[in-house]
Amino acid sequence: MTTESTASHSHSSPDDGEVVSHIASTRRHVIVLLGLLMFTALTVGAYNINLGDWNLAAAVIISTCKSALVVWFFMELKDDVAFNRVIFLGAVIFMGLFMAYTMNDTRYRNIVDAYNGGRIDPRTGELANGTAAGIVAQGGELGPLPTLPAGEADGEPAQE
Amino acid sequence: MSTDAHGNSKFLQHHYDTPAQQFGAAKLGMWLFLAQELLFFSGLFVAYGVYRSWYPDAWVVGSHLLDYRMGTANTCVLLLSSFTAVMAVRSAQTGNQKATGNFLLATIFLAGCFMVVKYFEYHHKFEVGYLPGQHFAPHGEGLVEIVAAARETGVNGVPFHLRTFFGLYFVMTGIHGLHVLVGMFVMGWMWNRNRKGEFSKRYSTPVEMTALYWHLVDIIWIFLFPLLYLID
Repeated sequence: MTTESTASHSHSSPDDGEVVSHIASTRRHVIVLLGLLMFTALTVGAYNINLGDWNLAAAVIISTCKSALVVWFFMELKDDVAFNRVIFLGAVIFMGLFMAYTMNDTRYRNIVDAYNGGRIDPRTGELANGTAAGIVAQGGELGPLPTLPAGEADGEPAQE
Repeated sequence: MSTDAHGNSKFLQHHYDTPAQQFGAAKLGMWLFLAQELLFFSGLFVAYGVYRSWYPDAWVVGSHLLDYRMGTANTCVLLLSSFTAVMAVRSAQTGNQKATGNFLLATIFLAGCFMVVKYFEYHHKFEVGYLPGQHFAPHGEGLVEIVAAARETGVNGVPFHLRTFFGLYFVMTGIHGLHVLVGMFVMGWMWNRNRKGEFSKRYSTPVEMTALYWHLVDIIWIFLFPLLYLID
Protein backbone atom coordinates (compact mmCIF):
# COMPACT_ATOMS: atom_id res chain seq x y z
CA MET A 1 0.00 0.00 0.00
CA THR A 2 1.48 3.28 -1.10
CA THR A 3 0.60 6.69 0.20
CA GLU A 4 0.35 9.06 -2.72
CA SER A 5 -1.14 12.49 -2.38
CA THR A 6 -4.73 13.20 -3.33
CA ALA A 7 -6.32 14.12 -6.64
CA SER A 8 -3.64 13.60 -9.24
CA HIS A 9 -4.87 15.47 -12.28
CA SER A 10 -1.46 15.55 -13.78
CA HIS A 11 -1.42 12.16 -15.53
CA SER A 12 -3.73 13.36 -18.28
CA SER A 13 -4.66 16.76 -19.62
CA PRO A 14 -8.27 17.82 -18.95
CA ASP A 15 -9.64 17.51 -22.47
CA ASP A 16 -8.05 14.48 -24.10
CA GLY A 17 -11.26 12.55 -23.46
CA GLU A 18 -9.68 10.25 -20.90
CA VAL A 19 -11.28 9.62 -17.52
CA VAL A 20 -9.73 11.86 -14.89
CA SER A 21 -9.47 9.81 -11.70
CA HIS A 22 -9.15 11.47 -8.34
CA ILE A 23 -7.01 8.88 -6.63
CA ALA A 24 -7.11 9.48 -2.91
CA SER A 25 -4.29 8.38 -0.64
CA THR A 26 -4.52 5.16 1.36
CA ARG A 27 -3.82 7.29 4.42
CA ARG A 28 -6.99 9.30 3.90
CA HIS A 29 -9.06 6.13 3.51
CA VAL A 30 -7.61 4.75 6.75
CA ILE A 31 -8.38 8.01 8.57
CA VAL A 32 -11.99 7.93 7.32
CA LEU A 33 -12.32 4.30 8.44
CA LEU A 34 -10.99 5.18 11.90
CA GLY A 35 -13.45 8.08 12.05
CA LEU A 36 -16.30 5.75 11.18
CA LEU A 37 -15.27 3.23 13.85
CA MET A 38 -14.94 6.06 16.37
CA PHE A 39 -18.48 7.23 15.61
CA THR A 40 -19.70 3.64 16.04
CA ALA A 41 -18.09 3.51 19.48
CA LEU A 42 -19.79 6.85 20.24
CA THR A 43 -23.23 5.49 19.24
CA VAL A 44 -22.82 2.40 21.40
CA GLY A 45 -21.51 4.61 24.22
CA ALA A 46 -24.52 6.91 23.94
CA TYR A 47 -26.76 3.85 24.13
CA ASN A 48 -25.27 2.82 27.44
CA ILE A 49 -25.75 6.31 28.86
CA ASN A 50 -29.41 7.16 29.21
CA LEU A 51 -30.02 10.38 27.31
CA GLY A 52 -33.81 10.21 27.55
CA ASP A 53 -35.49 12.00 24.67
CA TRP A 54 -32.11 12.81 23.15
CA ASN A 55 -31.38 9.16 22.47
CA LEU A 56 -33.08 9.09 19.09
CA ALA A 57 -31.60 12.47 18.14
CA ALA A 58 -28.10 11.33 19.12
CA ALA A 59 -28.45 8.11 17.11
CA VAL A 60 -29.69 9.93 14.00
CA ILE A 61 -27.11 12.72 14.23
CA ILE A 62 -24.21 10.27 14.62
CA SER A 63 -25.53 8.12 11.76
CA THR A 64 -25.81 11.20 9.57
CA CYS A 65 -22.20 12.12 10.32
CA LYS A 66 -21.05 8.58 9.48
CA SER A 67 -23.04 8.60 6.23
CA ALA A 68 -21.61 11.99 5.33
CA LEU A 69 -18.09 10.58 5.75
CA VAL A 70 -18.93 7.60 3.54
CA VAL A 71 -20.64 9.68 0.84
CA TRP A 72 -18.09 12.49 0.78
CA PHE A 73 -14.87 10.48 0.93
CA PHE A 74 -15.52 6.80 0.10
CA MET A 75 -18.10 7.54 -2.60
CA GLU A 76 -16.02 10.57 -3.58
CA LEU A 77 -18.92 12.96 -4.01
CA LYS A 78 -16.22 15.41 -2.93
CA ASP A 79 -14.62 15.22 -6.37
CA ASP A 80 -17.75 14.39 -8.33
CA VAL A 81 -19.59 16.63 -10.77
CA ALA A 82 -22.20 18.98 -9.32
CA PHE A 83 -25.05 17.19 -11.10
CA ASN A 84 -24.41 13.94 -9.19
CA ARG A 85 -24.34 15.86 -5.92
CA VAL A 86 -27.69 17.41 -6.81
CA ILE A 87 -29.15 13.95 -7.46
CA PHE A 88 -27.98 12.66 -4.10
CA LEU A 89 -29.05 15.76 -2.17
CA GLY A 90 -32.39 15.69 -3.99
CA ALA A 91 -33.00 12.12 -2.82
CA VAL A 92 -32.13 13.09 0.76
CA ILE A 93 -34.40 16.14 0.67
CA PHE A 94 -37.32 14.16 -0.69
CA MET A 95 -36.76 11.50 1.98
CA GLY A 96 -36.99 14.27 4.56
CA LEU A 97 -40.16 15.69 3.02
CA PHE A 98 -41.73 12.24 2.88
CA MET A 99 -40.93 11.54 6.51
CA ALA A 100 -41.88 15.01 7.79
CA TYR A 101 -45.27 15.15 6.11
CA THR A 102 -46.20 11.57 6.97
CA MET A 103 -45.16 11.86 10.61
CA ASN A 104 -46.90 15.21 10.88
CA ASP A 105 -50.09 13.42 9.95
CA THR A 106 -49.75 10.18 11.90
CA ARG A 107 -48.21 11.61 15.05
CA TYR A 108 -50.67 14.46 15.52
CA ARG A 109 -53.72 12.90 13.93
CA ASN A 110 -56.84 14.46 15.46
CA ILE A 111 -54.79 16.42 17.93
CA VAL A 112 -54.29 19.69 16.08
CA ASP A 113 -58.04 20.18 15.93
CA ALA A 114 -58.47 20.05 19.70
CA TYR A 115 -60.67 23.15 19.64
CA ASN A 116 -63.35 21.13 17.84
CA GLY A 117 -62.77 18.07 19.95
CA GLY A 118 -61.23 16.18 17.03
CA ARG A 119 -59.18 13.97 19.30
CA ILE A 120 -62.24 12.73 21.16
CA ASP A 121 -64.44 10.08 19.62
CA PRO A 122 -67.94 11.64 19.98
CA ARG A 123 -69.59 8.21 20.28
CA THR A 124 -67.62 7.10 23.30
CA GLY A 125 -66.27 10.32 24.76
CA GLU A 126 -62.87 8.59 24.83
CA LEU A 127 -59.69 9.51 22.98
CA ALA A 128 -60.21 8.60 19.34
CA ASN A 129 -58.72 5.44 17.82
CA GLY A 130 -55.51 5.91 15.92
CA THR A 131 -54.38 9.01 17.78
CA ALA A 132 -51.00 8.73 19.40
CA ALA A 133 -52.47 10.15 22.59
CA GLY A 134 -55.27 7.58 22.42
CA ILE A 135 -52.81 4.73 22.15
CA VAL A 136 -50.85 6.00 25.13
CA ALA A 137 -54.12 6.42 27.06
CA GLN A 138 -54.85 2.75 26.38
CA GLY A 139 -51.61 1.90 28.09
CA GLY A 140 -49.69 1.54 24.84
CA GLU A 141 -51.60 -1.63 24.10
CA LEU A 142 -49.83 -3.56 26.77
CA GLY A 143 -50.86 -7.08 27.65
CA PRO A 144 -50.09 -8.57 31.03
CA LEU A 145 -46.62 -10.00 31.54
CA PRO A 146 -46.71 -13.76 31.06
CA THR A 147 -46.47 -15.77 34.23
CA LEU A 148 -43.47 -18.02 34.05
CA PRO A 149 -43.46 -21.27 35.99
CA ALA A 150 -40.97 -21.15 38.82
CA GLY A 151 -37.55 -22.43 37.83
CA GLU A 152 -37.98 -22.97 34.12
CA ALA A 153 -40.14 -21.73 31.28
CA ASP A 154 -42.25 -24.17 29.29
CA GLY A 155 -43.62 -23.70 25.77
CA GLU A 156 -46.65 -21.61 26.69
CA PRO A 157 -47.64 -19.18 23.89
CA ALA A 158 -47.71 -15.44 24.58
CA GLN A 159 -50.78 -13.75 25.98
CA GLU A 160 -52.36 -11.36 23.52
CA MET B 1 -9.33 12.85 -30.48
CA SER B 2 -12.54 10.82 -30.33
CA THR B 3 -11.63 8.71 -33.35
CA ASP B 4 -8.34 8.04 -31.67
CA ALA B 5 -10.10 6.74 -28.59
CA HIS B 6 -12.42 4.65 -30.76
CA GLY B 7 -9.59 3.10 -32.64
CA ASN B 8 -7.56 2.11 -29.63
CA SER B 9 -10.14 1.19 -27.07
CA LYS B 10 -11.43 -2.22 -26.07
CA PHE B 11 -13.79 -0.80 -23.47
CA LEU B 12 -15.25 2.29 -25.18
CA GLN B 13 -18.69 1.54 -26.55
CA HIS B 14 -19.43 2.92 -29.99
CA HIS B 15 -22.15 5.31 -28.89
CA TYR B 16 -19.76 7.31 -26.72
CA ASP B 17 -17.28 9.83 -28.06
CA THR B 18 -14.69 9.54 -25.30
CA PRO B 19 -13.90 7.39 -22.25
CA ALA B 20 -14.64 10.42 -20.05
CA GLN B 21 -18.11 10.75 -21.55
CA GLN B 22 -18.77 7.06 -21.04
CA PHE B 23 -17.57 7.26 -17.46
CA GLY B 24 -19.73 10.32 -16.76
CA ALA B 25 -22.79 8.56 -18.13
CA ALA B 26 -22.12 5.44 -16.05
CA LYS B 27 -21.69 7.48 -12.91
CA LEU B 28 -24.80 9.55 -13.55
CA GLY B 29 -26.79 6.36 -14.05
CA MET B 30 -25.35 4.87 -10.88
CA TRP B 31 -26.22 7.92 -8.78
CA LEU B 32 -29.75 7.89 -10.17
CA PHE B 33 -30.03 4.23 -9.20
CA LEU B 34 -28.68 4.97 -5.71
CA ALA B 35 -31.14 7.87 -5.31
CA GLN B 36 -33.91 5.45 -6.22
CA GLU B 37 -32.57 2.97 -3.64
CA LEU B 38 -32.63 5.67 -0.96
CA LEU B 39 -36.22 6.56 -1.80
CA PHE B 40 -37.13 2.87 -1.80
CA PHE B 41 -35.68 2.39 1.68
CA SER B 42 -37.21 5.67 2.86
CA GLY B 43 -40.65 4.03 2.73
CA LEU B 44 -39.45 1.52 5.33
CA PHE B 45 -37.84 4.22 7.46
CA VAL B 46 -41.07 6.23 7.39
CA ALA B 47 -43.06 3.14 8.43
CA TYR B 48 -40.50 2.69 11.21
CA GLY B 49 -40.96 6.30 12.36
CA VAL B 50 -44.74 6.12 12.30
CA TYR B 51 -44.97 2.88 14.28
CA ARG B 52 -42.26 3.91 16.69
CA SER B 53 -44.17 7.09 17.51
CA TRP B 54 -47.38 5.09 17.93
CA TYR B 55 -45.98 2.17 19.91
CA PRO B 56 -42.95 3.41 21.84
CA ASP B 57 -43.19 0.60 24.41
CA ALA B 58 -43.08 -2.10 21.74
CA TRP B 59 -40.03 -0.42 20.22
CA VAL B 60 -38.11 -0.19 23.48
CA VAL B 61 -38.83 -3.78 24.50
CA GLY B 62 -38.31 -5.09 20.94
CA SER B 63 -34.95 -3.36 20.69
CA HIS B 64 -33.85 -4.96 23.97
CA LEU B 65 -34.67 -8.37 22.50
CA LEU B 66 -32.01 -7.81 19.83
CA ASP B 67 -28.38 -8.47 20.67
CA TYR B 68 -26.66 -5.11 20.29
CA ARG B 69 -23.23 -6.72 20.53
CA MET B 70 -23.93 -8.69 17.36
CA GLY B 71 -25.24 -5.48 15.76
CA THR B 72 -22.07 -3.63 16.75
CA ALA B 73 -19.87 -6.41 15.40
CA ASN B 74 -21.75 -6.34 12.12
CA THR B 75 -21.46 -2.56 11.91
CA CYS B 76 -17.68 -2.77 12.28
CA VAL B 77 -17.53 -5.57 9.70
CA LEU B 78 -19.50 -3.53 7.15
CA LEU B 79 -17.46 -0.36 7.76
CA LEU B 80 -14.29 -2.39 7.24
CA SER B 81 -15.76 -3.82 4.03
CA SER B 82 -16.45 -0.30 2.76
CA PHE B 83 -12.78 0.42 3.36
CA THR B 84 -11.67 -2.66 1.44
CA ALA B 85 -14.09 -1.71 -1.36
CA VAL B 86 -12.61 1.76 -1.63
CA MET B 87 -9.13 0.21 -1.63
CA ALA B 88 -10.19 -2.12 -4.46
CA VAL B 89 -11.20 0.96 -6.46
CA ARG B 90 -7.93 2.67 -5.66
CA SER B 91 -5.95 -0.40 -6.69
CA ALA B 92 -7.88 -0.60 -9.95
CA GLN B 93 -7.31 3.10 -10.64
CA THR B 94 -3.58 2.73 -10.08
CA GLY B 95 -3.48 -0.37 -12.26
CA ASN B 96 -2.60 -2.83 -9.51
CA GLN B 97 -4.49 -5.88 -10.72
CA LYS B 98 -3.42 -8.24 -7.93
CA ALA B 99 -4.36 -5.83 -5.14
CA THR B 100 -7.71 -5.12 -6.82
CA GLY B 101 -8.54 -8.83 -6.78
CA ASN B 102 -7.42 -9.25 -3.18
CA PHE B 103 -9.38 -6.25 -1.92
CA LEU B 104 -12.47 -7.49 -3.76
CA LEU B 105 -12.03 -10.90 -2.13
CA ALA B 106 -11.61 -9.25 1.28
CA THR B 107 -14.82 -7.32 0.73
CA ILE B 108 -16.69 -10.47 -0.24
CA PHE B 109 -15.30 -12.24 2.82
CA LEU B 110 -16.42 -9.44 5.16
CA ALA B 111 -19.85 -9.39 3.54
CA GLY B 112 -19.99 -13.14 4.18
CA CYS B 113 -19.11 -12.57 7.85
CA PHE B 114 -21.98 -10.08 8.05
CA MET B 115 -24.40 -12.66 6.66
CA VAL B 116 -23.17 -15.37 9.04
CA VAL B 117 -23.80 -13.13 12.07
CA LYS B 118 -27.19 -12.25 10.58
CA TYR B 119 -27.94 -15.94 10.21
CA PHE B 120 -27.29 -16.59 13.90
CA GLU B 121 -29.47 -13.64 14.87
CA TYR B 122 -32.36 -14.78 12.67
CA HIS B 123 -31.97 -18.37 13.79
CA HIS B 124 -32.35 -17.41 17.45
CA LYS B 125 -35.44 -15.32 16.70
CA PHE B 126 -37.08 -18.11 14.72
CA GLU B 127 -36.38 -20.54 17.57
CA VAL B 128 -37.97 -18.45 20.31
CA GLY B 129 -40.90 -17.33 18.15
CA TYR B 130 -40.06 -13.68 17.50
CA LEU B 131 -41.71 -13.85 14.11
CA PRO B 132 -43.23 -10.96 12.17
CA GLY B 133 -46.87 -9.88 12.40
CA GLN B 134 -49.47 -12.56 12.98
CA HIS B 135 -46.82 -15.26 13.31
CA PHE B 136 -45.40 -13.66 16.46
CA ALA B 137 -45.59 -16.42 19.07
CA PRO B 138 -42.82 -16.24 21.65
CA HIS B 139 -42.38 -19.31 23.80
CA GLY B 140 -39.94 -20.76 26.27
CA GLU B 141 -36.77 -18.71 26.36
CA GLY B 142 -38.49 -16.10 24.22
CA LEU B 143 -41.01 -15.37 26.96
CA VAL B 144 -38.31 -15.22 29.61
CA GLU B 145 -36.43 -12.67 27.51
CA ILE B 146 -39.53 -10.55 27.02
CA VAL B 147 -40.24 -10.45 30.74
CA ALA B 148 -36.61 -9.55 31.43
CA ALA B 149 -36.62 -6.83 28.74
CA ALA B 150 -39.90 -5.39 30.05
CA ARG B 151 -38.55 -5.24 33.59
CA GLU B 152 -35.27 -3.71 32.43
CA THR B 153 -36.99 -0.97 30.45
CA GLY B 154 -39.70 -0.32 33.01
CA VAL B 155 -42.50 -1.32 30.64
CA ASN B 156 -45.33 -2.82 32.66
CA GLY B 157 -46.54 -5.59 30.38
CA VAL B 158 -46.03 -7.21 26.98
CA PRO B 159 -46.55 -4.66 24.18
CA PHE B 160 -48.98 -6.11 21.66
CA HIS B 161 -47.10 -4.43 18.84
CA LEU B 162 -43.86 -6.32 19.44
CA ARG B 163 -45.13 -8.22 16.39
CA THR B 164 -45.07 -4.97 14.40
CA PHE B 165 -41.55 -4.23 15.60
CA PHE B 166 -40.37 -7.66 14.48
CA GLY B 167 -42.28 -7.29 11.22
CA LEU B 168 -40.28 -4.17 10.43
CA TYR B 169 -37.08 -5.70 11.82
CA PHE B 170 -37.29 -8.65 9.46
CA VAL B 171 -38.35 -6.61 6.43
CA MET B 172 -35.71 -3.92 6.91
CA THR B 173 -32.78 -6.20 7.78
CA GLY B 174 -34.02 -8.80 5.28
CA ILE B 175 -34.08 -6.41 2.33
CA HIS B 176 -30.75 -5.01 3.47
CA GLY B 177 -29.37 -8.54 3.69
CA LEU B 178 -30.62 -9.21 0.18
CA HIS B 179 -28.64 -6.16 -0.95
CA VAL B 180 -25.57 -7.60 0.78
CA LEU B 181 -26.01 -10.89 -1.09
CA VAL B 182 -26.40 -9.06 -4.41
CA GLY B 183 -23.28 -7.06 -3.57
CA MET B 184 -21.32 -10.26 -2.89
CA PHE B 185 -22.44 -11.67 -6.22
CA VAL B 186 -21.52 -8.52 -8.16
CA MET B 187 -18.13 -8.30 -6.44
CA GLY B 188 -17.47 -11.91 -7.36
CA TRP B 189 -18.25 -11.00 -10.95
CA MET B 190 -15.89 -8.01 -10.72
CA TRP B 191 -13.20 -10.24 -9.24
CA ASN B 192 -13.49 -12.54 -12.24
CA ARG B 193 -13.36 -9.65 -14.73
CA ASN B 194 -10.34 -8.28 -12.91
CA ARG B 195 -8.69 -11.71 -13.05
CA LYS B 196 -9.17 -11.68 -16.82
CA GLY B 197 -7.40 -8.33 -16.93
CA GLU B 198 -10.32 -6.22 -18.10
CA PHE B 199 -9.46 -3.29 -15.86
CA SER B 200 -6.60 -0.83 -16.14
CA LYS B 201 -5.57 2.67 -15.17
CA ARG B 202 -7.66 3.88 -18.11
CA TYR B 203 -10.73 1.81 -17.35
CA SER B 204 -11.95 0.80 -13.88
CA THR B 205 -15.56 2.03 -14.13
CA PRO B 206 -17.30 -1.28 -13.23
CA VAL B 207 -15.24 -1.64 -10.03
CA GLU B 208 -16.05 1.98 -9.10
CA MET B 209 -19.77 1.53 -9.71
CA THR B 210 -19.81 -1.69 -7.66
CA ALA B 211 -18.08 0.10 -4.80
CA LEU B 212 -20.63 2.96 -4.95
CA TYR B 213 -23.41 0.41 -4.54
CA TRP B 214 -21.57 -1.27 -1.70
CA HIS B 215 -21.12 2.03 0.16
CA LEU B 216 -24.85 2.68 -0.11
CA VAL B 217 -25.58 -0.73 1.44
CA ASP B 218 -23.20 0.29 4.22
CA ILE B 219 -25.02 3.62 4.71
CA ILE B 220 -28.39 1.88 5.04
CA TRP B 221 -26.94 -0.31 7.78
CA ILE B 222 -25.38 2.74 9.49
CA PHE B 223 -28.95 3.94 10.06
CA LEU B 224 -30.55 0.54 10.70
CA PHE B 225 -28.11 -0.35 13.46
CA PRO B 226 -28.91 2.36 16.07
CA LEU B 227 -32.56 2.59 15.06
CA LEU B 228 -33.18 -1.12 15.65
CA TYR B 229 -30.59 -2.23 18.18
CA LEU B 230 -29.98 0.83 20.32
CA ILE B 231 -33.31 2.11 21.60
CA ASP B 232 -33.14 3.06 25.23
